[in-house]
Amino acid sequence: MPKHLLLVLGLILGLLLAAGPARALTGPQILEQVDRNLEPGDLEMYRKIINIEPDGKKMEYVLWFLRKDKDKIVTLFVSPASEEGRATLRLGDNMWLYIPNVGKPIRITSMQSVVGGVFNNADIMRLDYSVEYTVSTLGEDQGQYLLDLKAKTGAVAYDRLKMWVLKKELVPTKIECYAATGMLIKTIHFKEIKDVGEGVVRPAVMDTDSPLYQGYRSIMISAKLKKRRLPDEVFTLNYLPRVKDLR
Amino acid sequence: MPSLRCIWLAVLFTALAGGALAGEYDLNIPEAQKKPYDLGGRFELRYIQHWLNDQSARYRLDYYKRDPGAYTEEWRPQLELQGGFRQGMVQFHFLTHHEYDETSGGGEWTNRVYEAYASIKPSVNLTIEAGKKSFLWGKGYAWNPAGFINRPKDPDDPELNLEGYTALGVDYIKSFSGSSLRNLALTAMVLPVFNGWENTSLGQSGDVNYALKLYLLWHNTDLDFIYFGGPNQPDSYGFDFAKNLTDNFEVHGEAGYRSDVTRTVLDSTGQAAVSQENQLSYLLGIRYLNAIETTFIAEYYHNGAGYDEGEVDNFFAYQGWAYQQWLATGKDAYMQRANMATRPYYRQRNFGSDYFYLKITQKEPFGILYFNPWLAVIVNLQDLSFNLQPGMTYTPVTNLELNFRVGIPIGPSGSEFGEKEDAARTEMWVRYYF
Repeated sequence: MPKHLLLVLGLILGLLLAAGPARALTGPQILEQVDRNLEPGDLEMYRKIINIEPDGKKMEYVLWFLRKDKDKIVTLFVSPASEEGRATLRLGDNMWLYIPNVGKPIRITSMQSVVGGVFNNADIMRLDYSVEYTVSTLGEDQGQYLLDLKAKTGAVAYDRLKMWVLKKELVPTKIECYAATGMLIKTIHFKEIKDVGEGVVRPAVMDTDSPLYQGYRSIMISAKLKKRRLPDEVFTLNYLPRVKDLR
Repeated sequence: MPSLRCIWLAVLFTALAGGALAGEYDLNIPEAQKKPYDLGGRFELRYIQHWLNDQSARYRLDYYKRDPGAYTEEWRPQLELQGGFRQGMVQFHFLTHHEYDETSGGGEWTNRVYEAYASIKPSVNLTIEAGKKSFLWGKGYAWNPAGFINRPKDPDDPELNLEGYTALGVDYIKSFSGSSLRNLALTAMVLPVFNGWENTSLGQSGDVNYALKLYLLWHNTDLDFIYFGGPNQPDSYGFDFAKNLTDNFEVHGEAGYRSDVTRTVLDSTGQAAVSQENQLSYLLGIRYLNAIETTFIAEYYHNGAGYDEGEVDNFFAYQGWAYQQWLATGKDAYMQRANMATRPYYRQRNFGSDYFYLKITQKEPFGILYFNPWLAVIVNLQDLSFNLQPGMTYTPVTNLELNFRVGIPIGPSGSEFGEKEDAARTEMWVRYYF
């Protein structure tokens, strides 16, 4: 009898704990969840980048984006014709650009931009935030989590990020990117939370402006996301000229 | 009822105007639709103005019998077509080049198949390719001493498409996780020579040449080990590397060793001495990006096939001697022979032995998007003559590119760039991609 009594008491205690207030998430947990919600594991998707000049003139690029694990990314330019066939590879901190006319892939840096405009290579071939940043402080602002992130190494494109995160959806609404000097480099606004493919609900639009490019905007639209696991060999320099065959 | 009609109208309007528009953004990406074939290319119209240096050795070789005036003009419309077709693991690709070059001496058509090859991919690890393909081995930007099967680049235009060689090749790739060696790739090729048709610059008809390349990504460093040889080709061994030391600083280098290479040297009267020698060429370079997005590419190049200061002095002295003989006798044979004899020198884009290259590109200065001005210089470190080239690229609308540059060779008489035919060269070209 006492054994049964203990079991019943244990069950009641368990139910009470489960029904009680949810345990608050820590900063690193929020950041990891943000990563999972934005890019859930191995995948392919399309990204349209639109650079808008102050006079309204637009330039559009469409990229096919492949990602594997936390550190392997390939992008392939699908349009416009002047860029078609170009491909980039990121393996951790290493980045290369393959231009069909030039032949061999050349090393590029994260602060350069393969498309011009406000987005740089680190924005386009971004690794998970939790891979590159640690959470310095976790606060609240306007009903959202506010994470202050510090780069783990000097090789990361931005020294500090301020990230506003929706509490329920755990996706960012805004990220401010700062240089080591404290200068604001750009602000990324996350918009249009929707199903971007295979039930993945996340902001489909990243709208960026920068005090360094007064009046200019760059927009990145994500769509047609599919979970896809490719062999490691796809994420190699020799494969870059052939990556278009996998589309 | 009117209010219901208004709601229906609003819904209809939204459906018609919206489509996949969400808010202010069009979330449609029609380009994501995959096709089994692709066809495209680019059209280029290039205009070149040569301001001539009538005291230069090369000018006298070309114009000893006629006066072309202070400058000549050149028009070069070009079309490059490329396409491909895919079916399962098989793919076919082609790239053709069509150019009409109109100069003061007349017009000339060039039609070439740069690439036409089929590839079969039984797995992602393995690719088999057969046909004509352009190879660009090596890591250098302006020169590739380890690129034994590359067509020579024009250091003034290193990013142009180049004609390939016909080959049958296998490419094997392997990745490793949790190891300092992340990737390995082995490329093996045979390059046969078909008389009067393909690979004629690689030997005699029936020769079969071999090329091998082992690529490693080891400790975040690209490494290539290269071999090339054949019945009428010197055994050639190459090595190259590239690594990002920091996020914005890349270092690269390459070396090529060729054994028993035939070399022709002229004395000051045009007598040719032919010898066999081993040649070592190497290059060391950096690529650096600063905070205001200025890219610096700097390279030092030692050309093992190049000529030393004394040999270059003799080379120009001979051309001067031939010109004086022609003036004195009026016999064309002196100049015709000089034209032939100097070919081994002029065939090399840069025939000196040591060079420095620098290119500085500023991305989008003054907030002008898609406008990239640049300055490039090639210095012959032996005679300190150089070619200075300011230029710019601007892409005002999608697929349309405007380019402009000026080349100014500077150097004393008897130096490589001081003896260039052009005192200055202005060049502008428009490219349209489709």
